[in-house]
Amino acid sequence: MATSRFFHGGLSDSESSSSEEDYSEEEEELEDENQDAGEFDESESSEESDDEDEDDEDEDEDDEAGKTAQGQNRSSIFKRGAVDEEDSDDDGLRRVVKNKKDKRFEEIEGCIRLIDNAKKINDWVVISQEFDKLNKLVAKGAQGDAVPKLYIKAITDLEDFMNETIAKEKSASKKMNATNAKALNSIKQRLKRNNRQYETEIDQYRNDKDGYMLEPDVEEETSVQPKPSVIASEQIEDDDDTRSYSVVTRGGKAVQLTRESIFKHLKVIVEARGKKNTDRTEQIRTMERLLELAQAPYEKIRVLTALISTRYDLSFGVLSYMATDQWKAAEAELNTLLRVLEDNPAWVIAETGDEVEDDEKVPPTPAPGEVFKIPGSIVSFVDRLDDELTKSLQNIDPHTTEYVERLGDEAALYKIIVRSQKYFERLAGNDKIGGVGDSLNRTIMRRIDHLYYKPLAVIETIEEASYAFLASESSAESTHPTLQKEKPAEVVQKLCSYLYKKDTTILRTRAMLCHIYHLALRERFYQSRDMLLMSHLQENIHNADVTTQILYNRTLVQVGLCAFRNGLVSESQSCLQEILGSGRVKEHLAQGVGPQSRYSTITPEQERLEKQRQLPFHMHINLELLEAAYLTCSMLLEIPAMAAAGSSPDQRKKVISKTFRRMLEFHERNVFPGPPENTRDHVFQAANALAAGEWRKSCDLIQAIKIWDLLPNAESLKQMLSGKIQEEGLRTYIFTYAPYYDAVSLGRLAEMFELPERKVAALVSKMIAHDEIAAALDQINKTMVFRKGVEVSRLQTLALALSDKASGLIELNERVFEQKSQSGTTGGFQESSTRPGGGGRGNKPRSEFTEGRGGGRGRGGGRGRGGRNVQFSGERSSKS
Amino acid sequence: MSEEEVQAVPEATPDVADGVTGEGISIETARKYDLTPKIMPYLDRHLIFHLLAFMREQQIYPAEELLQNTYDLLEPTNMTDYVMDLWKQIHGKDDLDVPREFLLKREKVMQEWNALQDETAKITGLLENPDVISNFRSDKMQNLQFLKDNHGVTDDMIDALLKYGQGAYSRGSYAQASDILYSFRILSTDSDKVNQATWGKLACEILTVNWEGAMEEIQKIKETIDTKPFLSPIAQLQQRTWLIHWALFPLFNHDAARDTILELFFSPNFINTIQTSCPWIIRYLAVAVITSKNRGASSRATAIQQKQFKDLVRVVRQELYEYNDPITEFIAALHLDFDFEEAQKKLGEAEDVLRSDFFLLGSSETFVECARHLISEAYCRIHQRIDIKDLSQRLNLTQDDGEKWIVNLIRDTRVDAKIDYKNGTVIMNHPPQSVYQQVIEKTKGGYFRTQMLTAAVAK
Repeated sequence: MATSRFFHGGLSDSESSSSEEDYSEEEEELEDENQDAGEFDESESSEESDDEDEDDEDEDEDDEAGKTAQGQNRSSIFKRGAVDEEDSDDDGLRRVVKNKKDKRFEEIEGCIRLIDNAKKINDWVVISQEFDKLNKLVAKGAQGDAVPKLYIKAITDLEDFMNETIAKEKSASKKMNATNAKALNSIKQRLKRNNRQYETEIDQYRNDKDGYMLEPDVEEETSVQPKPSVIASEQIEDDDDTRSYSVVTRGGKAVQLTRESIFKHLKVIVEARGKKNTDRTEQIRTMERLLELAQAPYEKIRVLTALISTRYDLSFGVLSYMATDQWKAAEAELNTLLRVLEDNPAWVIAETGDEVEDDEKVPPTPAPGEVFKIPGSIVSFVDRLDDELTKSLQNIDPHTTEYVERLGDEAALYKIIVRSQKYFERLAGNDKIGGVGDSLNRTIMRRIDHLYYKPLAVIETIEEASYAFLASESSAESTHPTLQKEKPAEVVQKLCSYLYKKDTTILRTRAMLCHIYHLALRERFYQSRDMLLMSHLQENIHNADVTTQILYNRTLVQVGLCAFRNGLVSESQSCLQEILGSGRVKEHLAQGVGPQSRYSTITPEQERLEKQRQLPFHMHINLELLEAAYLTCSMLLEIPAMAAAGSSPDQRKKVISKTFRRMLEFHERNVFPGPPENTRDHVFQAANALAAGEWRKSCDLIQAIKIWDLLPNAESLKQMLSGKIQEEGLRTYIFTYAPYYDAVSLGRLAEMFELPERKVAALVSKMIAHDEIAAALDQINKTMVFRKGVEVSRLQTLALALSDKASGLIELNERVFEQKSQSGTTGGFQESSTRPGGGGRGNKPRSEFTEGRGGGRGRGGGRGRGGRNVQFSGERSSKS
Repeated sequence: MSEEEVQAVPEATPDVADGVTGEGISIETARKYDLTPKIMPYLDRHLIFHLLAFMREQQIYPAEELLQNTYDLLEPTNMTDYVMDLWKQIHGKDDLDVPREFLLKREKVMQEWNALQDETAKITGLLENPDVISNFRSDKMQNLQFLKDNHGVTDDMIDALLKYGQGAYSRGSYAQASDILYSFRILSTDSDKVNQATWGKLACEILTVNWEGAMEEIQKIKETIDTKPFLSPIAQLQQRTWLIHWALFPLFNHDAARDTILELFFSPNFINTIQTSCPWIIRYLAVAVITSKNRGASSRATAIQQKQFKDLVRVVRQELYEYNDPITEFIAALHLDFDFEEAQKKLGEAEDVLRSDFFLLGSSETFVECARHLISEAYCRIHQRIDIKDLSQRLNLTQDDGEKWIVNLIRDTRVDAKIDYKNGTVIMNHPPQSVYQQVIEKTKGGYFRTQMLTAAVAK
């Protein structure tokens, strides 16, 4: 083995550029190598010839198995040793390695023996198993570059034997059993694929069976090309390391990087992808160096795509996230990649690109005007980069500075997204490329995802930054005719409208929801509500995927908050009801995992999924604020309603917010209520005060809630709230104390509730007109006169309820009948179906929020009851 | 042809100082609530012409501008003589100075017209021939076949008929166009073209003030819109919007059509269209509903009116954030906020708006009358004792008129009320509805309806 090296060394020019430091380091390394090559001169051993460079790969593979394995392991030892600078460790490690190597070698032999045995009895199941094992061992030992000769012999023989068997099998009268045949088939395919890798060796072996095996283990010298002067000095050092390493280990594969070999290295790396025991950090380092070597755009693009995907491979598993430095490196490389693509419009990365089969060939050079496609997907890079950031934000404690720092990276990410959007826009405009698929839509959606929940000022900053970045970065202005400053107020609208037009998938739905959310955030309540209602999302959101449902919930809640800020109490209540009333707010908004339900046990799998869905902290909607808004709205609606219902059992049942009632009851059960501590205490004490007619106290309590300060213009909000409390207080007062009055002067009421008299008159008139109270106004005395004798007894109430139910029943029956016989309705029925409150409610898009919701997620009490009624009426009609 | 949208919308110029027109309408209010620019995109040129003519009479906008707008509007049409007149008016010159292109255009139009006439001469001749007509059956295909077989009529000739009709319409001879389009519809089997012809005919009927004919066409178009499969809901919505705007002409000019059109507007599809694409129609809807109140005698008519009024209040409430004018605000003040002072104020403004609106001019008197009714109705419902003086004031009447008004009101609506002459008050008696009465009311129709149902099920 030594001879060949010597031989090569004699032929080659001596390496001249090695520096002193390297020299000494290499010497250390040399001393460690006790078996072989020790006596060789440093400079000699690192010789290489230029012409050998081409063959170096092939020859490597010819190496004797054990040596190669050792060489490989040494390589890693060396790396470690170089870092640690600890000789003792090195020694220990090496010994272990040696044992391992030997062991593996034995194992390989054992496998081959077993295969031979199995061949004799024609047992393909065993052969198949052993073949797998063998492959694994070989792959473990030699990472794709050199394989033991034994192995080559074994697979060649196996192939021959297999072909023989297949030939026999065809003519044989008695077929082999099914499992055996299946194993044979599978091995046939695998063997073919496998052997293709080793074609040269197999040929060599075939040509000269005995000679091949006897041939001494040729130690291949890896060659180092004299470095081109353009390479930076550190590059030189790196190369020296590897070179010196190749010397000592004899037959180890030295990573020698030249411009010409870029594609070869890339191929090796790409093939190793996904395999076990691949050292990804090592690969990344290699590729980083390759990148520096790469000059032509094609080379750069190829290296960058491989490099970025390898970086992504570094983190796997659902819960782990990419290290920040790796993320930043990937971000920078993606930027470079985009830049290369921008500067060289002739190169395009497309998912439909042709796979490059032969890297040996000279890379194609596109003719002017021609476009060359390279397989790959920018959009998936962007997606992954985004997802990794989200993942890390999910995992970092949001109350640390680390989180804030990480959040700062979002700006960089946003720039990438905008940049790739521009890139895709350019591609989409070019008909030679043949469309970009949904890439553009996906990128735009990503962009919306990063914008929609932000206030205008933030959008403005981030947009400006990305604009400045793009304007300075893109050297080729001509490729960016579309680049222009977006108006922060319009950017979301613009992006969403694009998706409305161009997309038909779930992205459109998501864009719509984001748009609505954004509008709600900007206080456009009516616009956002109309969009929400006209989209008819409520009807089919239950079929959407979970993340979209979460987005829907977020949107709904945001619309509710918007209504609250605008003083639209009942609208806000009905928006918030579904989510807040469920008691599982956290889950619905993906802002944390709530307490486990008693009835459902969540599998770890589900739990993991749920964790994955969690939103990063900065996107959260403040839950306390939500609750405060919801409870306050409920209070303003419920307290007068409860007062109006009085003690009548029938009306008592009409509950607006079950959650509120339950909590109120709980609160009332407290014997000694202390001073309010949290938001909830404040609201419920305020509710009690309001019910008792003490509007001022109620007002003070509500205004003392600290969370309001989170909202913009908290002062006007508080004023709005106290105004509402005054009005509702007046209504509650009238409802509660009507039985004790004969007449009450409007002036007195106005004084009590500090409202203008006109307002009081309007409020009271409204109540009278809606038959909420039995009273009339006396214009002369300016008083409200209560009518007596309108109280109904319990029996009368029940009779009224019964008659209500009966007419409802008839209505339902008719509707059911009408549905069954769509066309064959008689005149009488038609007339009754057009009665007020009859059918056709579903057609109106502007009905209340709660309409058309299924009982799936929310309470859905109304629908459930309706269902019962239908059943009941069905029975009745069959009886009659 | 009717589907063209007119882009040239005249813009209001603010340079005329505030003032009052000849009829005492405040220009500011009139301009603020002028719906013409909103309505115009949904009308045909020839229909808009009438709106502009009305505006010229109103003197709300400078006359020269309107003249120019009218000129721009009609220029693409074939009414060359009239356009020429307009040009002369604008430029104040004599016949001699008319630019050559006008004459050229007139020439060209005449040629085209004659060509069309020649092309269709045969088929129009056939259609006037009683022998041919008598052979027609109800089946279109059969008729067409008959004509093809016996008289050598081709499809092209029929299509030429449509063009001929369009030409006639463009020249302004609406009655003729209407006839031609009618014949075309009898013969053509191309549903798209028939649809076009129907729109054209509707325009002709409106322009020739033939309301019965217009109503027929409206019904036809409505059916096509409802039944025809549209490529996109937007196209359907647009057609409905057009129809709604066009139907405004008969709505306020033909009393018999009012109920039908109101019913049409209140049907779920159309009320949705109004809410989504043209909320300003609510003004017309409101005026139509309010003015038709108390007109119907039968209890069924009043029931429908009550329902429509309820619907109206609902729609006004829902759209208040998107559209408001004194009329909708009047309704909101009266029925949502019960603020009578505000309602009274709005009523005054509404009157001005009505009088400056092309469609509503004729209804303003009735509207004010009916609105008073509404106010006093709501007032009486809430109050127990009312000062006549105060009520009269709210109704914009003198005390004596107010008293008369109240007496009439009590007599007409059979309210349980009495006038205390000495104190100058009206005392309303609101007897609480007894529970027994309520139960009886609720269960009244039950038996009959159930019986009908049983009968139907048994069938």
